Amino acid sequence: MTPLRALLPAASLLLLSATPTWAVLGQPAASVASDQQRLGGERRSIAADDFSVEEIHSAAGTVVREYVAPGGQVFAVSWRGLTRPDLRSLLGEHFAEFERASRSSARGRRPLVVRTDQLVVETGGHVRDLRGRAYLPALLPEGVSPAAVR
Amino acid sequence: MRSRPVLRLLSVVSLLAGCGSGTGGSDSGGGAVNNVLPIQVSFGPADDLVNGLYTSVTICVPGTESCQTIDGVAVDTGSVGLRLLASRVSLPLPRMTDASGNALANCASFADNSYTWGPMATADIRLAGEQAGSVPVQIIGAPSFAGAPDDCSSGGTAEDTVSALAANGILGLGVFRQDCGAACSGGRVPPLYFSCPVGAPCAATAVPLAKQLQNPVWLFPQDNNGVLVSLPAIPATGAPTVAGSLIFGIGTQSNNSLGGAKVYTTDDVGNFSTVFEGQTYSSSYIDTGSNGLYFQDSDTIGLPACPDGDSDFSCPPSTLSLTATTIGHNGSSGGVAFSVANAESLFRSNNAAFNDLGGPDTGDFDWGLPFFFGRPTFIAIEGQSTTGGTGPYWAY
Repeated sequence: MTPLRALLPAASLLLLSATPTWAVLGQPAASVASDQQRLGGERRSIAADDFSVEEIHSAAGTVVREYVAPGGQVFAVSWRGLTRPDLRSLLGEHFAEFERASRSSARGRRPLVVRTDQLVVETGGHVRDLRGRAYLPALLPEGVSPAAVR
Repeated sequence: MRSRPVLRLLSVVSLLAGCGSGTGGSDSGGGAVNNVLPIQVSFGPADDLVNGLYTSVTICVPGTESCQTIDGVAVDTGSVGLRLLASRVSLPLPRMTDASGNALANCASFADNSYTWGPMATADIRLAGEQAGSVPVQIIGAPSFAGAPDDCSSGGTAEDTVSALAANGILGLGVFRQDCGAACSGGRVPPLYFSCPVGAPCAATAVPLAKQLQNPVWLFPQDNNGVLVSLPAIPATGAPTVAGSLIFGIGTQSNNSLGGAKVYTTDDVGNFSTVFEGQTYSSSYIDTGSNGLYFQDSDTIGLPACPDGDSDFSCPPSTLSLTATTIGHNGSSGGVAFSVANAESLFRSNNAAFNDLGGPDTGDFDWGLPFFFGRPTFIAIEGQSTTGGTGPYWAY
């Protein structure tokens, strides 16, 4: 298992970066502000019992949700819109794992489900409505099911 | 795995010099236009896709009789517009430019995290006896053209070869007139259309509706309000290949009347609802371009995934007969009976067509190609009036 806590210092780098980047899966939520800047959209926070959701509505029509555990880490992301957000940024260090695993999955123009020991990524939808979500099962707050990520 | 060695080289392109009216189109007597385009379910030009739906498309340099027919083009009601692999296009189609004279390019993203990227060109599109003139199309993987910008690729997989695309092109016949619509014609636009100046990076740009990728059907002079996908019923064990028809128009000729088909309208992004095992899937859709019935099964009936490389499909120990209720945006509802068989057993048959292939999805219900076998389905285009009302809708 990847020691995710070791990544905490990356948060300040994200905020200082000249090119705003995404808050990424498994990292602290501090960089949500730069996501908002990049998307040029409105942001609102939704508090739930076991986690909070930072929702960013981009002016270009994509909604990205970042699910933050009580400890402050992003344990899941979801997206929906005319286009797909950049999964390299959104998945961060987990992107390589996603790429490796998705290469072995079956082909066809159809929804994609990628599961590894650490990561679940699902993409789907159709023209004008592309959707997906990614989460780290090990970081799901206690009592929260993957179905809460939508 | 369904991948298999390519056993033969398919002759995928035939160049028809001066094909003229020889596309098998018009009735000689000046009666109704031939509105029936043959379609096939097969392994496709890459010889490895199950439940791929294909047809042949004739394109011409606009306003000329310089034409070419490309076979193995995927018929996809989950996307909009004609996209062709550059390697399969031999005609010198005129490229499109923006107001500043820079090349225009298009980016399409698909459900499986893949994308197509390439310059826009115009072509006359001939399907059966129908023709749409000077239609914007996408040329995928054009040599010597700028690579996909980051906000197009977005961590997706490029589908710019026959083997990656499992087709020579995609004929997108979804419920919309354009792939993007008003969202791409002004304001802060999403990264679907790009302006590509010489010597500078491509940048997302606004494109008026008329210059966007088009569903060619709504541009036909007649039979332009939608299509009817007609595929025969097949056995539960599958069929080696299946031949069917794509019939243009709804209620415009004797072969495309709605009859007893019920109309299910879609919402503004092309979804309706499916209720299955007590759960409502509000982002549900019907799509010839999906090769199975994909729905989130783990929270409902717990269909097991197939092992190893086939985990994108379901492998119940024995075939399940199931029923769901589809509900249109207009409130009309009706039951749909379907089956999910063990995908690995199906694949061992060496058949290409299955009406009971299933797999998981992310909280949606994707009625893919198995839906269509033995269930004639109408797809009405947004803003087009029909005997069953104005599109967008599905009817079956």
